[in-house]
Amino acid sequence: MNHRSLAFRLAVWYAVLMSLTFALVGAGIFYGLTQYVRSSLGDSLRRRSVQVEQILAQSPSDVTDAAIAESINTRVAPEFNNRFVRVTRAPASLVYRSGAPTDRSFEPLGVPPFGGVWPLKSVTRSTVTAQGLRLILSTTPLVTASGQYLIELGTSLEPIETLQQRLLALLGLLLPALVTCASGGGYLLVNWALRPVDRMSQTAAHMSLRNLEARLPVSPTGDALERLSLALNQLLARLRDSLQTSRRFLADASHELRTPLTIIKGELQEIVGKQILHGEVRDRLGSVLEEVARLENLVAGLLVLSRLDAGEVQGDWADLDLAELTLSTAEQMRLMAEDRGIQIDTQALIPIVIRGDRARLKQVIVNLLANAIRFTPRGGMVTLRSSQSSLYSVLEVCDTGIGIPAAALPHVFDRFFRVDEARSREDGGAGLGLSIAKSICSAHGAQLQVDSEVGKGSCFCLMFPRLPKAVIQRAAQALRSEHANDGDTDLTGGESVLVALRPRSLF
Amino acid sequence: MRLLIVEDDPKLAEFVARGLRAELYAVDLAADGREGQNYINSYEYDLLILDLMLPFVSGSELLRRVRQSHPSLPVLILTARDTIEEKVRHFEAGADDYLTKPFDFAELVVRVKALLRRTPIERTDVLLFSDLELNRLTREVRRGDQRIELTGKEYALLEYLLSSPCRVFSRAMILEHVWDQSFEGVTNIVDVYVRHLRRKVDDCFPVKLIHTVRGVGYCVRDSESAIAPDLQ
Repeated sequence: MNHRSLAFRLAVWYAVLMSLTFALVGAGIFYGLTQYVRSSLGDSLRRRSVQVEQILAQSPSDVTDAAIAESINTRVAPEFNNRFVRVTRAPASLVYRSGAPTDRSFEPLGVPPFGGVWPLKSVTRSTVTAQGLRLILSTTPLVTASGQYLIELGTSLEPIETLQQRLLALLGLLLPALVTCASGGGYLLVNWALRPVDRMSQTAAHMSLRNLEARLPVSPTGDALERLSLALNQLLARLRDSLQTSRRFLADASHELRTPLTIIKGELQEIVGKQILHGEVRDRLGSVLEEVARLENLVAGLLVLSRLDAGEVQGDWADLDLAELTLSTAEQMRLMAEDRGIQIDTQALIPIVIRGDRARLKQVIVNLLANAIRFTPRGGMVTLRSSQSSLYSVLEVCDTGIGIPAAALPHVFDRFFRVDEARSREDGGAGLGLSIAKSICSAHGAQLQVDSEVGKGSCFCLMFPRLPKAVIQRAAQALRSEHANDGDTDLTGGESVLVALRPRSLF
Repeated sequence: MRLLIVEDDPKLAEFVARGLRAELYAVDLAADGREGQNYINSYEYDLLILDLMLPFVSGSELLRRVRQSHPSLPVLILTARDTIEEKVRHFEAGADDYLTKPFDFAELVVRVKALLRRTPIERTDVLLFSDLELNRLTREVRRGDQRIELTGKEYALLEYLLSSPCRVFSRAMILEHVWDQSFEGVTNIVDVYVRHLRRKVDDCFPVKLIHTVRGVGYCVRDSESAIAPDLQ
């Protein structure tokens, strides 16, 4: 269980609030019930006390203590009612004391005599017997013709205490059960309530910049969740629009640059070719032409990128051995490497068959190899390796070059990013090579990753997911029926299927 | 030989026309599709150079009409659109060649000449320039009486340079003919191979044959011969 999750924190809050509420309610019940039982017991004692008062008040002034005792025993019968009765005449002579009650709940002799000043009116108090039992006593003063009396009427508090204990036990049992139910239920409830958000985040996670057509599921609940999904969908639409605008701008701009570039290049080439210029002028024009060539490469690179961005994967997709393509490309570039005193090791290339566009994949290999050669000092080594696991076909291009600083690693595939401005400028690199390689890989559903250590070298790793044939076939069928509905019938092979599969299933 | 260029960018049209006139072709210019149509209907042309994005009548539409009225007129498409799909579409619509901007003028001349060649010229088996000799049958290269051993790519490079002595070949043209476009912009592969070729062909000889024209490319010439006429 995640201790920082919303559901967990809410459940804890529920538990705390429930415990507090329950404790307050429990205390209220406990106090209220105790008070009620005590006061009703006090009332019943006072009613008996009134009977004793009547006996005393009706007695003649010369009545004997025995006659009083006789009347009380007959009319009040304290022993049978489990009551304690004691009548004291002022100043301190005991007139009557009831005997042991039938239920033996207390010992009358153990009840301490009334101490202190006699009260002016009837009061209820508790006292403790010599045996440690608690009694409730109603004490009433009375003045009659025969003298001044103090009537004490009491009973054991034990039934009330038993009630209190039972109530406490009940509350003590109920509290944890209730809190557990509340917090557990709360946890489940929050999780359930958050499930649409979960679905939204899952859909969002499967989106990429190439796949901005997908929308989050909207549950028509009319609440904050619906508003959230609608707002996010609107945001996605705006994102797609602005991305399309910028891509179109990139494509248009690089397109429009081509005609002026042709003229500049043509005119300059003509002048330089005439050989009427000499020395410095010729050299400077040559230098301008070199810049024109760079501009040309840049425009071409941007166009390639804008096409890949737009999801155009051209050319023929076919099954091909990437290792064989790598080997033949490496052979073509071997002289370039040897020219710089760099060895290319192709020993570890084993056949890996993938599906893709041969020309574009070759571009990836050329870019990676050129990069490796460019950034490896004389005497270094570029190693090409291929391997296959159950999930991926992997091609690695590793060098013993200058490496890439850790801070720059996340940016090496960014457009126009250069680790070392001065050095790359000198080489004429436009800073688009790796970005193009990455885009081509993405268009193939492959990943291009880099690992590097400064001073030791870099390793670029190309990973093609190996799709089970069944998956491709199923997707092909689904796609065919989808397109049949659109009235589009020119879809023929697995290659288009893989292209269509790419955004949804591979990322 | 009379050529028509239909291109709406006046500077580019003028530049191409000037270069082709220097090659001794008669060149007409049309600035839009409608004007181009009128020219084609009025005169007899040997070659049509056609831009695709034109006002009034698009290049694709003009190509379609030309194919109906003049089935045998060679058409070279000159455009900034370089996707494979575009190329295939226009070849299917009847274009004979396709050149993408920004192009090298030398490349344009080579293609124009190839299109205007009514009958295929005989391929010479031996290319000879100065005292350098390349035999296409035996793949033997000699300079004077000395035999030069070349690797496959070096041979292909020299063969390409020798195919038109005194013409400057740009790196892009060399890449496209000897390698493929994957290497463009990323590598200095052409320079490396030219350096190696020079080491074998020129280093031991007083007269250097392979020359660099800075900013443009490479050409084969000796010190006396002027640069190719199409660049003058």
